[in-house]
Amino acid sequence: MLDAIQSLSHEALARLASAQTPEALEEIRVDVLGRKGKLAAFGKEMAKLSAADKATAGKALNEAKAALEAAFEAKSTLFQKAALAEKLQQEWLDLTLPAPGVRPGALHPLTLIQNEIEDLFYSMGFVILDGPEVETEFHNFDALNIPPDHPARDMQDTFWLEGGHLLRTHTSPVQVRGMQTLGPPLRMIAPGRVFRNEEVDPSHEHTFYQLEGMMVDKDVSVANLLYFMKTLLKGIFHRDVTVRLRPGFFPFVEPGFELDIECMVCGGSGCPVCKHSGWVELLPCGLVHPNVLRSGGIDPTQWSGFAFGLGLTRLVMMRYVIDDIRWLQSGDLRFLNQFANQFAPAGGL
Amino acid sequence: MKFSHQWLEELVPGLGIEGREVARLITLHTAESEGVEAHGELLGGACPATVLAVEEIPGAKNRKALVATAQYGEKTLVCGAPNCRAGLQTIYVPLGVKRISGIDSDGMLASAAELGINADDDGIIELSGDAPVLAPDEVIEIDNKSLTHRPDLWGHFGMARELAAILRQPLRDPVNISLLPAGDPAIEVVIEDLDLCPRYSALVFENVRVAPSPWSMQYRLRAIGLGTKNNIVDVTNWLLAELPQPTHAFDADKLHGKIIVRRARSGEKLLALNDLEYELTPADLVIADEAGPIALAGIIGGKHSAITDSTTRIVLESANFHAATIRKTSSRLKVRTDASMRFEKAQDPENTTRAIARAIELFAQVAPGIRTVGGVADVRSPQRPETVISLDLAWLTRKLGREVPKPEVVGLLERLAFRIIDHGASLEVGVPTWRATKDISLPDDLVEEVGRMVGYASIPPTAPLMPVAPPPVNHERRYHNRLRQQATAQGFTEVYNYSFISEQQAAQLGLPLEAHLRVLNPIASDQSLMRTALLHGILKNFEENSKHFPRFAFFEIGKEIHKQATGLPQETPHLAAGFYGEGGLAELTRLAECLVGCVDVLPTADVRPFEHPLRTAEIFVGEKQIGRLFEFHPEWLEGRAAVLDLDLSLTMALDAARQIKYTPIRRFPASEFDLSVLAPPRTYARTIAQILHAARAPRVEAIRFLTDFTLPDASRSLTFRITIADPTRTLTQDDITTARTHLLSALQSHGYELR
Repeated sequence: MLDAIQSLSHEALARLASAQTPEALEEIRVDVLGRKGKLAAFGKEMAKLSAADKATAGKALNEAKAALEAAFEAKSTLFQKAALAEKLQQEWLDLTLPAPGVRPGALHPLTLIQNEIEDLFYSMGFVILDGPEVETEFHNFDALNIPPDHPARDMQDTFWLEGGHLLRTHTSPVQVRGMQTLGPPLRMIAPGRVFRNEEVDPSHEHTFYQLEGMMVDKDVSVANLLYFMKTLLKGIFHRDVTVRLRPGFFPFVEPGFELDIECMVCGGSGCPVCKHSGWVELLPCGLVHPNVLRSGGIDPTQWSGFAFGLGLTRLVMMRYVIDDIRWLQSGDLRFLNQFANQFAPAGGL
Repeated sequence: MKFSHQWLEELVPGLGIEGREVARLITLHTAESEGVEAHGELLGGACPATVLAVEEIPGAKNRKALVATAQYGEKTLVCGAPNCRAGLQTIYVPLGVKRISGIDSDGMLASAAELGINADDDGIIELSGDAPVLAPDEVIEIDNKSLTHRPDLWGHFGMARELAAILRQPLRDPVNISLLPAGDPAIEVVIEDLDLCPRYSALVFENVRVAPSPWSMQYRLRAIGLGTKNNIVDVTNWLLAELPQPTHAFDADKLHGKIIVRRARSGEKLLALNDLEYELTPADLVIADEAGPIALAGIIGGKHSAITDSTTRIVLESANFHAATIRKTSSRLKVRTDASMRFEKAQDPENTTRAIARAIELFAQVAPGIRTVGGVADVRSPQRPETVISLDLAWLTRKLGREVPKPEVVGLLERLAFRIIDHGASLEVGVPTWRATKDISLPDDLVEEVGRMVGYASIPPTAPLMPVAPPPVNHERRYHNRLRQQATAQGFTEVYNYSFISEQQAAQLGLPLEAHLRVLNPIASDQSLMRTALLHGILKNFEENSKHFPRFAFFEIGKEIHKQATGLPQETPHLAAGFYGEGGLAELTRLAECLVGCVDVLPTADVRPFEHPLRTAEIFVGEKQIGRLFEFHPEWLEGRAAVLDLDLSLTMALDAARQIKYTPIRRFPASEFDLSVLAPPRTYARTIAQILHAARAPRVEAIRFLTDFTLPDASRSLTFRITIADPTRTLTQDDITTARTHLLSALQSHGYELR
């Protein structure tokens, strides 16, 4: 019987080895290892053997069964792997096709810059305020130390509205509103849309964006103003910027300055961008005029402050080298979509 | 305002720097320079010359001239001037040899215009007697806006004072006040309102011979852009450009009696020097004689009393006027002159007689034989007391952020003509009259004087020593920015549109004109109203972008401006989004959900003319309407153009009220089944969904629309997927049956069946 087991084992192993398909393999498994298979038949015959022979034959039978099962598993795995490999070969995919689905639109470049600057100032402790676009004459002029018939009113061509109101010519009225709401000490900025009655051309717009800034505290000095302006400019341009202050006249500040930055195109040696002066005018600023503090309900003998105005539109044009200001409010998606994927900081805190 | 370098150098003899450096120093310390230009460049190397002979060039308009020059010997050149003739004394300019009309032309003969003397370019300059000694000049242009607060800088003497102070050089005053004649005036002056005319000085001159002024005077006036007319008028321009005191010369023989400074009478008219007739009102100040107005005070003279070639006696007016009054009249009548520009900056009343003294000297130079008659008429309000400011030096240091040593403060203020008394810790500062009219009245004004003179570059940037605290959040701004981020993430690009619309645009959307706030002085008639909706801009964005793109999405966050009965208008923030192309309404519904959360889209039949009659809906959150969704009517816009319009003041309130509350995760599995409902044509899915929700079937966790299709008879099949679950136990078949039965009977009670 041992021999019979032996020869069956040999023969079955050979058949397993030569099986060509999973079906043939299964046939062999049923024939040999199946419940009614040849090995099972030996099991029935073993009952007739002596105890000693039974032990020997049983051992041989178990060994043969284990060997055949292992061989079957090995062969079966081989077939599965081959089948999977064959299936994967059928799964070719064009990975280079454009992906479907929504693409992000673009934020307006003015929003991008505005968010950036708002974040910068918020991080330095400045509140972000809004003010109305339609203003009273008082807030836009009188409260800012520009009485009626002051020639300084000529500096800002004004759109007048029925009912005696006007479209704000600068964001400075928010200074007064801010002082009235917040009280001293305060740090605030106010970005927004402003209007000037000017003919529109590639470098002039009747509608543009400014950012007003103001700080009121004890003993705020020109030196403090310079510090904040340098910090601001470093934040905007991501590098140290050489600045100069020179006298500038704005009725709501005293002293008043124009802050120039060294021309970034020529580095100060003179070029058409800076009109060969080496400097580009960027920020009007100054110490808040006592009359303006008073308009905001703040005692100028106790408090002092600085204020500045930043032309956001101009900054956008510098940043993105935009040659015609009219693109900004054209609503033209050929222009605006170029600003997609500009991952602006969250902004607007 | 233009400044002549030569003129400045006369007043600051030690100037010693060129125009560019003058411009730089003025920019850093005083006012903004807009550049430096050469004037009279051709005068470099020019010399007198006599034309010896002139001959025609065959076939050319030009002629050939032989000239004897004072410096370069005889020259042959080609000249086109009609007055070029043998024996003419003129000016030769060496320019090198150029081939003109077939002849080598060596240099040129110049016209007065080419030399920068005056506007005469009819022919080459004709000299009589001595040749003018003129040299090329430089003109420094200063931005007028930066001089708004400085009446004194509207003339060379004021700017010279700045330069002298910056450079620590002596300043030469061109005025010799001792020239003023004593005695009774030969003209009577009456001022009706001393507030409007604080001072009026006048002097009569006789034996006047009106003639062109000398080349040198013309050249100077030409350099700074002033016209030249005759010796008398040129002197008045000189005074304006130098001191800077606007003056006016009347023909004394054309005046009737005394000079009266008064308000104009209603309806009074004046024919001015510019040949325009102005109708006046009592708001206007005039100079009149006993017959009527002879000048618009501080602005422009009258035609009838103007100087002519036959004038022999003049009245020279040198007066001071109330700035705002001059400005009002000048802007109402739209006549701005060199004089009005100066007076509206509040000129110094103490300057009037100085100008007359200077005029006496200048007239003597340019109108030989001229004589003064009588003394100076000088009617005025009392001289204003000196403005005195106490300047606390420690305060000054705190304001500037650096200490300026006292001797330096004193020195620089004195160089600017401030009067100083040292009180130790503070200075008593007397303000010179020409700075006291408007410019300087507060210690803060002196901070500027000190700061600008020491130079702001000397101030070190310094961080403030102050406590910091996180600033309060601007919730509205943060909310709007969140919407912007979300909208762009959903594929919409942000646009900014103008706040102005035209009447036609307003009418196009059927909005009543009177609902719009009107701009009184629009740039163009198509920008005369303030927008009461963002839709005008959106419509335009559709029209223009559809030329370039078949499909696009965009949005704007902006303010609607709504007129109020009283007070400022209401500015309501809106978000308007547009989608061009098929499927836009669905895209916009998705956007609304992304921006606002759960929204109800309620189709409405109450449509505006520009809306698609069957594709318009109101957007609700709960009971609150927050916006509108529609497609533009095809008569308004070609192609499918869908719009979502949200009132952000409403959505923000909802957003702020929303609270996130955690629900424990269910431990027992849910079960789902689908219901396909058969509904009549044009039944809205929302109608069915509402019935299903309202049924309140037990254990129903969610009701979701799955799919729909239209049957051949146009009735609709709408499939919903129902999820049921029980938080406390595993579901049984009974649970499912109960829920299903419940929902079915609700549907049936509304007349719907399953398909």
